[in-house]
Amino acid sequence: MDGWTGQILRVDLTSRTHRVETFSQEFADTWIGGRGFAVKILYDELAPGIDPLGPENKLVVAVGPISGIPAPNTGKTIVAAKSPATGGYGDGNLGTRMTDQLRKAGYDALIVEGRAASPTMLAIDDDRVEFLPADEVWGKGTIETNEWIYATYGKGAGVLNIGPGGENMVHFAVVRSLEGRSGGRPGMGAVMGSKLLKAIVVTGSKPIPQAFPAKMKELGRDDLREVHRIDKEAGWSLQGTTGVLPWCNEVAALPVHNFRGTHHPDAWMVDGERVHAARVATYGCPNCTMRCGIAVLDDEGREAEVDYENIGLLGPNLDLYNLAEVGALNYLCDDYGLDTISAGGVLGFYADAIEQGAAPGEPLFGDIAAFKKLLGQIAHREGEIGNLLANGTLPAARAFGHGSEAYAMQVKGLEISAYNCKFIPGMALAFGVSPIGAHHKESWIITYEVNQTPRESYGRDKAQKIVDLQRIRGGLFESIITCRFPWVEVGWGVEHYPVYFNTITGKDWKLEDFWPISDRIYALIKLFWLREFPQTDRTADYVPDAWFDPSFADTEGPIAGRILEREKYDSLLQHYYDIRGYDTRGVPTRATLERLGLAAEAAAAEAYATLS
Amino acid sequence: MKVTLKLAGAFVHTVGFSHRELDVEPGTTVADILDAIAIDRSRPMIIARNGHGAAVDEVVQAGDRILVSPIFSGG
Repeated sequence: MDGWTGQILRVDLTSRTHRVETFSQEFADTWIGGRGFAVKILYDELAPGIDPLGPENKLVVAVGPISGIPAPNTGKTIVAAKSPATGGYGDGNLGTRMTDQLRKAGYDALIVEGRAASPTMLAIDDDRVEFLPADEVWGKGTIETNEWIYATYGKGAGVLNIGPGGENMVHFAVVRSLEGRSGGRPGMGAVMGSKLLKAIVVTGSKPIPQAFPAKMKELGRDDLREVHRIDKEAGWSLQGTTGVLPWCNEVAALPVHNFRGTHHPDAWMVDGERVHAARVATYGCPNCTMRCGIAVLDDEGREAEVDYENIGLLGPNLDLYNLAEVGALNYLCDDYGLDTISAGGVLGFYADAIEQGAAPGEPLFGDIAAFKKLLGQIAHREGEIGNLLANGTLPAARAFGHGSEAYAMQVKGLEISAYNCKFIPGMALAFGVSPIGAHHKESWIITYEVNQTPRESYGRDKAQKIVDLQRIRGGLFESIITCRFPWVEVGWGVEHYPVYFNTITGKDWKLEDFWPISDRIYALIKLFWLREFPQTDRTADYVPDAWFDPSFADTEGPIAGRILEREKYDSLLQHYYDIRGYDTRGVPTRATLERLGLAAEAAAAEAYATLS
Repeated sequence: MKVTLKLAGAFVHTVGFSHRELDVEPGTTVADILDAIAIDRSRPMIIARNGHGAAVDEVVQAGDRILVSPIFSGG
């Protein structure tokens, strides 16, 4: 089966057994890989209502047909499970040597089931599967754990691991790799921790099946060089993602003081220019020439890998404008194995709740020592507050009460990334309809919206753009799998990706052939959510009340007095549903499901909900 | 008349500064400013004028704040 190994490795931690399963060409063609495989497996195999942190949840590690092939930015792997943060489908991608090693070991996906009796490291070497004790590193940070694994397996091994955050089942714990890569914002690290699975290490020795390996080798080499050349010429990697901060600050899109502010005069102190000046090293994923991981020294002299999201949420969102201090929070999140975006959202929310009198505690904003301490309490679930905040902003807001849910900056239980959309309707909707909860990776419409459309518009064109971007970013890129950066950051055309896909699989697919598959993946994710929340309605796709509240509007600056309008947001949401073929609840109609080849799933859905 | 020019991302390294107050003639466009500081206008970019999206052919006004940034996709 050119392009796929055709095999899935299923491991049961409870019984310490494993088996190799095969899948058909039809399955591969229907779901491609990565997120497609993950949602199909989880939808088919998880019973509704299971505890995401119970042994019945499953962790899926999946790659795609172009994963691990030397070509621009193909070093990504998907980790997926039912999310403890949202209760719905959750996934994320991360750059890791797992990508090529899993395929070389002979698998396109790994399914981890059950729960180990004691801390365990799963070690896979081709056909050999071992359940090794991990007591020695249980409780250790991800950096030390990585080194512990490298000492035995070498740096070429594919490694996924968790830190104390995952071990203690913090709802926004991530999976870590390569000492600097993280994935699975909606608590995929917590799912590993719930299974007492400290790490997975994979080594493989088999060739990755390809239709035209010689042609792909030449194509991949040439295109890696070309992307490198373009990046070098454009200078994107000099600042990486942190270069966007001045623009966000200028157009009032920066999260400041738990999103109450949109810009700040001191923001320049943590912008890309300062990051570039302070850089001590750069890191990248396998098969990547755009090394976006820029390390600066934190206030204790440790290397901290920063990017825009981390800086936005652990910096201005907490009233911190010292790069070394922001770096320290970033370092701690990475070592604890916590998602930096959600951590910044949670800390900002708690500081705000204290300020509003909704939560007990001393003032927090701008207090680096207090934030450091609090991160440790969250990672270890220490004390009442640490334990509560470890569940994320929404459960914390529900516990605090006093109207604090209005400024808990999340959607579906997942904290909002570093774009303040109090007057950016399309980007707000992109957060609202992201299939895993608020996340920017699915549809980053913000620059298009602010620059090429009337900002105050709620027109159908914005909903269409969101769907277009979701098809490329959340569908194509997350299933074949590749990083999105070459496409937008340096203008590497999306038309290159079917060429890679076809060269590897021997197929003759056009770009438009991927869109129905992208739509199928999104529709099945919707059914996953519907099965968990059968009474769902369109309010699930709403952004926090604060973004509709005139009292939350800026009092000065470019968007002074402006805020999202609820009725217009609702009409924009309806445009999105209409384009997608969803009903007024945001549920795919029966006709849509049948058109996307999900007739059996539609019939099954009638058991738990009514379809239109 | 005076306008403030800010640059972001790689453009800072292209021209060697990130912030400058410029004295320009009435009728000057954003494009004129980019040409004056030797930024290749064919490069993908986003422009903000006083906090809102702007086109390259817009005429600037006294006191304007212009920010020019490479296009980004987010982290």
